[in-house]
Amino acid sequence: MIFNSIRWRLQLWHGLILVVVLSGFGLSAYHVARDNQQRRIDTELEHHLMALFRPLPPDQCPNRPPPGEHPETSRRPDPFDFSENLSQAIEQAGALDQTQTNTFYYLLWQSDGVLMASAPGSPVSVPFPTNPEPAGIQPHDPDSLDDGPPPHPRPPLPLIARTRNQAREIYLFGPHGDCVLVGRSMASDLAAMNRLALWLVAAGASVLLLGLAGGWWVATRAIRPIEDISATAIKIAAGDLSQRINAADAESELGRLATVLNSTFARLEAAFAHQARFTADASHELRTPVSVILTQTQTALARERSVAEYRNVLDACQRAAQRMRSLIESLLELARLDAGQEPMKQAPFDLAHVVRESIELLRPLATARGIQIQCACSPAPCIGDSERIGQVATNLLTNALQFNRAQGSVRVGVSAGNEFALLTVEDTGQGIPAEELPRIFERFYRVDKSRSRLQGHDGIGLAISKAIVDSHGGLIEVSSQFGAGSVFTVKLPTGKRSP
Amino acid sequence: MRVLVVDDEPDLLASLLQALREDGYAADGAADGEEGLYKAQNYDYDAILLDVMLPGIDGWELLQRLRKTKKTAVLMLTARDAVRDRVRGLNGGADDYLVKPFDLDELLARLRALIRRSASQAQSCLQIGDVLLDTSARTVTRQGRPVELTAREYVLVEFLALHRGKVVSRTMLYEHLFDENDSTLSNLLDVHVSNIRKKLGHDFITTRRGHGYSIESL
Repeated sequence: MIFNSIRWRLQLWHGLILVVVLSGFGLSAYHVARDNQQRRIDTELEHHLMALFRPLPPDQCPNRPPPGEHPETSRRPDPFDFSENLSQAIEQAGALDQTQTNTFYYLLWQSDGVLMASAPGSPVSVPFPTNPEPAGIQPHDPDSLDDGPPPHPRPPLPLIARTRNQAREIYLFGPHGDCVLVGRSMASDLAAMNRLALWLVAAGASVLLLGLAGGWWVATRAIRPIEDISATAIKIAAGDLSQRINAADAESELGRLATVLNSTFARLEAAFAHQARFTADASHELRTPVSVILTQTQTALARERSVAEYRNVLDACQRAAQRMRSLIESLLELARLDAGQEPMKQAPFDLAHVVRESIELLRPLATARGIQIQCACSPAPCIGDSERIGQVATNLLTNALQFNRAQGSVRVGVSAGNEFALLTVEDTGQGIPAEELPRIFERFYRVDKSRSRLQGHDGIGLAISKAIVDSHGGLIEVSSQFGAGSVFTVKLPTGKRSP
Repeated sequence: MRVLVVDDEPDLLASLLQALREDGYAADGAADGEEGLYKAQNYDYDAILLDVMLPGIDGWELLQRLRKTKKTAVLMLTARDAVRDRVRGLNGGADDYLVKPFDLDELLARLRALIRRSASQAQSCLQIGDVLLDTSARTVTRQGRPVELTAREYVLVEFLALHRGKVVSRTMLYEHLFDENDSTLSNLLDVHVSNIRKKLGHDFITTRRGHGYSIESL
């Protein structure tokens, strides 16, 4: 399913986080704006209320005592005693009406709830607010005013605010339970708030979309290397082992992964190539003698032949069959060695003795080619299968004789060691080019293909030698100087542990 | 028809050459890539049988180098049968591909088809006037009656028939009908031509004095 892809999951989480953050931000912005608006309206209303009943200058005060009396002791009018200041307040409110837009309105009630006055534009049926404070705890006890001048400035008035039908109103109860209310419609402010809310939603939605698009882009970029890797892996799984992941950004996590995968693929490819080469070589080696037999016999049988001709054909067939036999034997032996089925004796023997036997075996071949074998063999006890090791020595010696120059020499050395016994076979032949050395122990690998074919070599002897030495826990190595000769070194364990 | 066989297996090479010669081909052999390439570049063979695994220059490289100068039909012989190898061989300019071990009959049939194709002749039977040439059975009939031709006479007729309407020079005939082991004198060709005329009619082969011979296209 598509939503299971990493890209979609990332996108989903990204979207969710964006929605939470954006809505949190939008809601707080809306609330702050609304609070601010309310406070501003309240301040305005309060301001109007104060303007309505601001203390009059003394000379305009209607209840002002005549000059000459002590102003300190005279009873100063309380501006919030609506009953006393009513007419004046109405006058002022009338003046206010002229100056202010008609969004504001005011209403005055007597304590019994009878409407005394109202602004011309006031809404009808404004309910008489309930007085939340009992008279006793009113901050301005009128009696206290008699005792002295009222504290000036006045302590904060017990203003009460309410919201009613899209209108904000504040009201104030006078000392006698009279009530004055100033209000204004909030329709335009609410519309502004709605516009703000709409704007916030629109902005939030566009930021969300932008964020999602950006997230998609980032996810695509981040995932592209993964997609590269999986595309390459698919191609490799389909059989094209030469594919590699583009690991240009080798420092990133995915780049490192790509590098590791690439080296794995390279090793896989090498292993497959090695296997394929072995199969191709083996099939070539096995098919060639069969081709010889088929072609020889089919040609011979096409018409009557002389006895000599038949003899030639049979000779060729015999050679081909012998070649196949030796090849099959070698391959089977190699397969058994690979599978670990070939039993290896673990008996102590003298390497020098085994090597001397091999030399004696090959002496006639050496004499025939005019090659001298020099042996510097000192007793070297080691543990293993002496017959198998003899096979290795014979193989190395045969190679040293066959790939030697005429009248050359072969030097054989055996020496004892603490951990390993050492066998060296040194020839004075053509040597092996440096680039061929790493492949010399591969199956069917031949340095000089034409020469070894003529000498009946199937290119598998060194591979068998290596397998035998490996299964002994030993080492076989070669070093060569091209044109001067090669040295093969075999190290076999003595069974003694190094201290 | 003259063919070159390149194979490093002496027993295989010898029997292939023998089989080809007995089938009426002039056949040359080469035991390695260098010799094969030299011969392929210096003679106009009608076809080359090329082994892939060769010492020195291998079959792929030989083919690649040969294709720079010659369009000779090449039949690759190889013990490798992986599809990749076949594709590589055909892409590399080989005209056909045969996996070892092969049957001799199949090899000869494919070789005939290859030579026919390279002479732009799709049919294995050629009708020239009242003479019918069956290149797969290697027989000639005239007015429905079989005509006995010697192997040399047959290949000469076949070569001229495959190049119908063209004048074939004596040099070309020598190059394509006789291999390096044949020691033929120039007048032998005239003997063969005159014998063919006796058997298939005097007008069957036209002599273009100073140029060579031809079989008219109709």
